[in-house]
Amino acid sequence: MFERFQTINSTFPRTDHILEYKNRGGLVFGWLCTYVPEEIMHAAGVLPIRITGYNQETELEDGSAYLYINNCSFSRSCLQMGLRGEYEFLDGVVGGSTCDGARRLFDLWRNYIGTPFHHVLSIPRKFTEEAHTLYYQQVVQFMEHLEQYLDIEISDEQLLHSIGVYNESRALLKELYELRKLDNPPITGAETLEVLNASFRMPKEIFNQYLSDLLRDLSASGCTRNGNARLMVTGSVLTNPEFIRSIESQGALVVADDLCTSTRYWSDPVLVSGDITPLQAISRRYLNNFPCARMFPSDERFNRIIELCRDYRVHGVVSQIIRYCVAYAHDMPLLTQRLQSYGIPILALDVEYGTSGSGQIQTRVQAFLEMLGAKVR
Amino acid sequence: MIDVEEKKDKIDSIIRACAVIQRMNKVRPDASESERIYYNMLSDYYIRIKNAREEGKFIAAHTVFFPAEILYAMDLVPMHTETTTWMISLFTGESTELLSAGADLGLASEICTPHRGLAGAFACDALPRPDVMLWSNLICDNTAKSGELLMDINRCPGYFIDHPFQHSEDERKYLVGELKNMISFLEEQSGHKMDWDRLSEIVAQMDRQIELFREICELRKSVPSPFKTRGFLELLTIDYLFPGWPEAIKYLETLRSELIERVKNGEGAVTDERFRLMSFFVPPMYLIGFLDRISEEYGAVSVTEPFFTFWADGRLDPNKPLESVAEKSYMIPEVRMYGPLDDRAIKSIVDCAEQYKIDGAIYYADVGCRHTCAMVKLFKDILNEIDIPVLTVDCDIVDPTITSEEEMREKLEQFFELLEDR
Repeated sequence: MFERFQTINSTFPRTDHILEYKNRGGLVFGWLCTYVPEEIMHAAGVLPIRITGYNQETELEDGSAYLYINNCSFSRSCLQMGLRGEYEFLDGVVGGSTCDGARRLFDLWRNYIGTPFHHVLSIPRKFTEEAHTLYYQQVVQFMEHLEQYLDIEISDEQLLHSIGVYNESRALLKELYELRKLDNPPITGAETLEVLNASFRMPKEIFNQYLSDLLRDLSASGCTRNGNARLMVTGSVLTNPEFIRSIESQGALVVADDLCTSTRYWSDPVLVSGDITPLQAISRRYLNNFPCARMFPSDERFNRIIELCRDYRVHGVVSQIIRYCVAYAHDMPLLTQRLQSYGIPILALDVEYGTSGSGQIQTRVQAFLEMLGAKVR
Repeated sequence: MIDVEEKKDKIDSIIRACAVIQRMNKVRPDASESERIYYNMLSDYYIRIKNAREEGKFIAAHTVFFPAEILYAMDLVPMHTETTTWMISLFTGESTELLSAGADLGLASEICTPHRGLAGAFACDALPRPDVMLWSNLICDNTAKSGELLMDINRCPGYFIDHPFQHSEDERKYLVGELKNMISFLEEQSGHKMDWDRLSEIVAQMDRQIELFREICELRKSVPSPFKTRGFLELLTIDYLFPGWPEAIKYLETLRSELIERVKNGEGAVTDERFRLMSFFVPPMYLIGFLDRISEEYGAVSVTEPFFTFWADGRLDPNKPLESVAEKSYMIPEVRMYGPLDDRAIKSIVDCAEQYKIDGAIYYADVGCRHTCAMVKLFKDILNEIDIPVLTVDCDIVDPTITSEEEMREKLEQFFELLEDR
């Protein structure tokens, strides 16, 4: 059931879909953070894909030489892939002022990698009306820059069409996540991440078809997954399903997540109404979306984490924070307090991007599960 | 809040250290008038914080690049948080215990030491509790994310200024709106009204300060350079702690006169100037004394710090005080590097290298500062293109366990030898 998704992920970034798109004369743009509105690129006829790093822990000689050792291994991993020509096919790169790692990755990408189009959006850190106005202005500027660069005009109809495609994707992913709320879900956390990885690495229209097929197959198969503890994974960007598989191999089931590659990527739809333009609707959704740790106040994110814990009946939370991912690291003392006040234990893991969760991580997860086991009993 | 062991008051330690330096300066024949003014100001700054509670004053703790002009105009007592952790390291060498206290709170070792130490310092009551916590996202994720935990530790309210990343008109307007909202918040919390006339005066004085900063930078172009390496830390402190202060203008004017005099007499900051250096980021505070000594020993002097002392063009307008406070935040030298890195900022490195007749550059690669370190390769490439060698030193601004004096000496000596051979 998952082979199609796995094939895409194992061949990324040079997947058949991307190469076909390029061969047909289409443009492919890479984006660096979930605060970059994909619908605008899609409406311009561009294929937006997410720039990610190696899917396993890798020596990052080039990444570290350019970004130094104390920038997060995600940004170093992405940059190394770029420096080694693995994203050579990109026609554009779009970033946001989201975190220090992403910003410096953008700066160095711009200086050392010859991607023709560059754009960086200022992303406010608040949810106020003034912040929405500013972000909207940024989104308008981005669209204008794109129109000018491609010598096109993006119409409201095109935007509405793209919103429809992306919202369909979000709705299907919601359906998939609903299944994870079941006592015995038909899908593991690792399998879910495999699906999600593919979602930002291929044309959305094809992904939606694949995901519809998967939902149908899951329903027909009647298979169930069992675990002795229901866990949530939170923290930094995570793309390696092996990390989750290593947790699940010890008897737990990951049923929920607060990650920018999963729930925070898809959770909120663009709400179209007659009162606002499609671009305003896109802008509002991206700033109001399930927040990253960069946003203020942190309670907005903490509240949604608590809500997820309740909805998915989570027994414990595994926090995986990539070293030097400062936004998440700063949140740890307060998030721990909040979760503890609801009686939810948290395991804090310092990791490197791409880790498969072996060795010491497994030992710590095992101890955590034993502690949870005693609690659940 | 997590309880950690109570430590002794670090503000007292800073005040005592200043008093010792002031006493020494009275008898040191080579102590300059500007130094005397500087340490008096520094001492007064911390005495005000120490006495604030007793005097019924309102303490507003704030992070780096926060517009303290507003706090002075509202008659509040500012406490610059990162500078305070620097000062603890510089004057007392007592940072390690505060870093441990920060770790006890659950802060990861990758969080930069000024912020980790600061959280530790508040948690163990080594610093007075502020009435309000103020912070912004200038200049990194550490500043953006530090405030909420500090509010929690100090059980005080707080305000976060969302400083837009780029410099468009829309973003400037947004920033002015953020400042207005913060003033309302402060008026409500402190009961003090904003004195707009006072703010205008402070802005006018700040404009003069920036002019003097620029003039001092110009004087450093002279060969030999009249300004000692550690002097730039004093310039930073003046900007961070005393924006718009009349005493700060007095300090800068005195310093400028002293430098003019030295230039006239052909007198350098070191006895025999051999190497003119460019510096990136800030040297470890706990090694400042050592750096003074080795600077003299090898005739090596930092003459320019493109992203720490080099203000962007622009003027402040006292008739538009709030807009000027916002404008200033875009002119700050550090913002040109830590904000969006445009080609102009990159070019300014080459310009500085040429104008200041640089022989080499030292890059203090602070292990806790990801922004700084991410630019090592790029800046090195730019300088190497114009045949300027760059020494990168891994270190930490506050934590003495990262680089020892011996390690620093070895690296600097090798670098000076390399410069000598050229």
